Amino acid sequence: MGQGKSQFTEEELQDYEDLTYFTKKEVLYAHQKFKALAPEKVGHNKNAKLPMAKVLTYPELKVNPFKDRICKVFSSSNDGDCTFEDFLDMMSVFSEMAPKAVKAEHAFRIFDFDGDDMIGVSDLREVIQRLCGPELKLTDSEIQQLVQNVLEEADLDDDGALSFAEFEHIIDKSSDFCHAFRIRL
Amino acid sequence: MSGGNSKNKAKSKRHEGWEEAGGEFYQELYPGGEQELFDNLQRADAAKLATLLPSKQARNTTTVKRARSQTDRRQSTFARTMQSRDIHLSMLPDLSENLSNEERSWEEIMQIKALPVPMSQKIELKARLQNATKLRLQGFEQLHWRQRKVWHRFRIGCTETFSKLELWQTPMREIEGKFGTGVVSYFLFLRWLFLLNLTISILVIVFLILPKTLLNERVYECDETEANSTVCCSIAYFEKNTTNSNIFLDVIQGTGWMERTILFYGVYTDQIYTYYVNSLYHTKLFYNMPMAYILVPISWTLLSLIAIVKTAARGFKQKLIESEGQFYKYCNLVFGGWDFCIHNDRSARIKHQALYNEIKGCIEEERFKEEKQSRSRESQILMHLKRLFINLIVFVILIASGFLIYVAFNFSTERLNESIGSNENRTRTMPIVYSTMSFNQLENVLMEFLPFICIVVLNLIIPEIFSYMIRYEGYMPPHVIIITLLRTVLLRLSSLGVLLSQIYLYISTNGIVCAKHNTDTTKLECWETYVGQQFYKLILTDFAVQFVTTFLINLPRAFMARHTRSRCLKIFGEQEFYLPKHVLDIVYVQTIIWMGSFFCPFLPIIGSMFYFMIFYIKKFTCLVNCTPSPVVYKASKSKSLFMSVLLLGFVISILPVAYSVAEILPSINCGPYRGYATVWEFVIQTFNNFPSVIREVIFLLSTATFAVPAFAVTLFFLYYYWAVATANRHMVAVLKNQLVLEGHDKQFLLNRLSAFIRQHQKRCDRRNRPSFADDDSSIRQSSR
Repeated sequence: MGQGKSQFTEEELQDYEDLTYFTKKEVLYAHQKFKALAPEKVGHNKNAKLPMAKVLTYPELKVNPFKDRICKVFSSSNDGDCTFEDFLDMMSVFSEMAPKAVKAEHAFRIFDFDGDDMIGVSDLREVIQRLCGPELKLTDSEIQQLVQNVLEEADLDDDGALSFAEFEHIIDKSSDFCHAFRIRL
Repeated sequence: MSGGNSKNKAKSKRHEGWEEAGGEFYQELYPGGEQELFDNLQRADAAKLATLLPSKQARNTTTVKRARSQTDRRQSTFARTMQSRDIHLSMLPDLSENLSNEERSWEEIMQIKALPVPMSQKIELKARLQNATKLRLQGFEQLHWRQRKVWHRFRIGCTETFSKLELWQTPMREIEGKFGTGVVSYFLFLRWLFLLNLTISILVIVFLILPKTLLNERVYECDETEANSTVCCSIAYFEKNTTNSNIFLDVIQGTGWMERTILFYGVYTDQIYTYYVNSLYHTKLFYNMPMAYILVPISWTLLSLIAIVKTAARGFKQKLIESEGQFYKYCNLVFGGWDFCIHNDRSARIKHQALYNEIKGCIEEERFKEEKQSRSRESQILMHLKRLFINLIVFVILIASGFLIYVAFNFSTERLNESIGSNENRTRTMPIVYSTMSFNQLENVLMEFLPFICIVVLNLIIPEIFSYMIRYEGYMPPHVIIITLLRTVLLRLSSLGVLLSQIYLYISTNGIVCAKHNTDTTKLECWETYVGQQFYKLILTDFAVQFVTTFLINLPRAFMARHTRSRCLKIFGEQEFYLPKHVLDIVYVQTIIWMGSFFCPFLPIIGSMFYFMIFYIKKFTCLVNCTPSPVVYKASKSKSLFMSVLLLGFVISILPVAYSVAEILPSINCGPYRGYATVWEFVIQTFNNFPSVIREVIFLLSTATFAVPAFAVTLFFLYYYWAVATANRHMVAVLKNQLVLEGHDKQFLLNRLSAFIRQHQKRCDRRNRPSFADDDSSIRQSSR
């Protein structure tokens, strides 16, 4: 913690506290975690930009099927490389204190692989394939059926894709989402 | 021209605003005035047209909506934002003009964190908001704002300290990382039970145990003319020597010297303690022990009930929301399937496997349903026959296990009475001091514990048989869990029921005797203490078995599975963390606690200690012995399941206690209620001593003049809410339909528009170089 204090000014900490769902202590703790990813880089420059591969060594991210998407969504340069501030943003959204709507917003962007602001059939297929992991493969018809079922449930306006409003609607009703979409610092 | 001018002005004004914000982000997201839109339309080819729709630009629209509703939130009845407190302020800079005072700007700064923009932009926004000119608050408002700010900071501090104090945080995290949220919800439930018992224990300690140990009882003399009075009997009872001499045995059985401790009902006095406080003008303080002894159980019963109902109601609400329902099953599976907190490779692999299984299961289920409809008549009949047959077997097993407990109980009591008799004979003929545990004593202990060992072993073995049998019944997976759970609950409760009825029979034949001239050792001199002892033994046995199975049986099994190559041993050794079984384990302990606490006030304290240790035992089971289960446990669903099982246990455990309080004659020799016909009689007598006003009021509450109107009003409210609910449901259906129609309309309009644009482009092309394409036909084609 002593080290952490020396790297941040009180003002910066106040900013971070105001702008995330963390307290100052938690911000410092997050920085420790960030530093542990690449001690030599972050030691010199507290806000160093780490390449995506480095960020993905974070244990929860390492095994996450959507890891690259998460990094891309939170990266300020949109290429998956993360500074500490990006990392803090990420952890803030995944923290317990973040409200459902904020989580939904980011989840939507994570699941929107092609970036067209709609979760379309291709996005859904990708999500399902990633959920099952690299070793287990569902047959094409099974995926097709599952996608069909999801769309039947959630696609209110019948246009073959989920808009953000529709996605938020699902999330509102899903009690498990909030439990699941969480990474403890 | 002037119109265009003003439009441009508006546009440029807005642009200035954006530049002020310095966020290019917004520029991207807000395709500004109509001019721009038209440019876009012209540039866009028909296919991309859809992406320009507001609804497609998801975040964009929602932020706009939210911002608008924020600016004129007084006028607007934008219900969603008003209801949900998490209003997302859009930090559109033109809003900063509206910032009238410090409080508002502070509020908005607090809302920045919800924005999906990178930190650097957030910091910029914050700085801008802080630097913007604003009114300084004055006087009372200033004070009010300061107060809010301090309160906010205080709350954050509080949550921080509380989260640090929160019990078992690190173990929870570890479990979460390996097993996911479903299993953690079980441990949260365990913690909840622990805290509940802790609260009950505090009640018991403060109102029963402390007064008993601190205050002095008055000593009465036995009047020899009335040999059967309560005073004489109780003096005789407390003067009697207790039989056993081995301390270890006494401790585990609750007999001997343990019988006369605060553990059991017997020692609590029937007197009203008086206590003189000299410093306070010689005031006399009273403490009515019998009163406390009945009020404490009533209060912990109510407390438990409220706690359960409150937690269950939360789950119920959730369930209602989802009950649309089953409906969102697939979305839940796809979007909420992955536990983001999982952090180790092996668990991740298993989670993939579990999700894969779940998806397969869902698809299978659908097929299963179709199959069910198309199933031939004969196979259907066969199915039902099979189920009937298996249910019969289950029934037979239940009866057999009940009978077994019955036999064990009678056998053990007979043998015990015999051996006590023979012991006495022997000690009379040849006085040997038993200083060590002899074979005979060991046998006695075994006999003492036989019924409980029997119950616990049955609880261990029979669920395995049930889970084996259910495979042949062809239920759907979610039903399988519920049905096995129900059967196991039935088993556990029926075994408890048999035990209770045996105890009851034994008490009613041997229970009531004055200790004064009683030499018959088979007679119970204080039956409440006896009952308390039984529950004490039961809970000890249960705990011992938990301990033994975890560390002496399952640990070697797990060890074997991990270090062997042999397939057979692996199958034998591998264990999954089967949630329903573990839930039953702890609910069962809680049931025993509720049942026994009236007779053994110390039981909640023992219970909380056990829960504390059971947490570690279960954690060990979970982390060391077991592999993650390939069944997906949903956190929300399992929670409501736990609570309903607990509620069932609660009702079943409170009923016999209530019966004993209301009907059975308390023993004459001991306890707070010696001399009364029932415990409840005491309550009625105390009630009669109340001031007449209170008596009248309570009496009135129980008559029809109050009950009928109250019932009517409740019914009226019920009807009202029911009507509102149906209306809402209808509304939802209508709106859903409308949404679909709107969607179709939108599609249609988009098609027309794209056709129009294509036509327009072609016309432009033709103007450049004439072609012979038929525009009309292309319109018709695309509009289709």
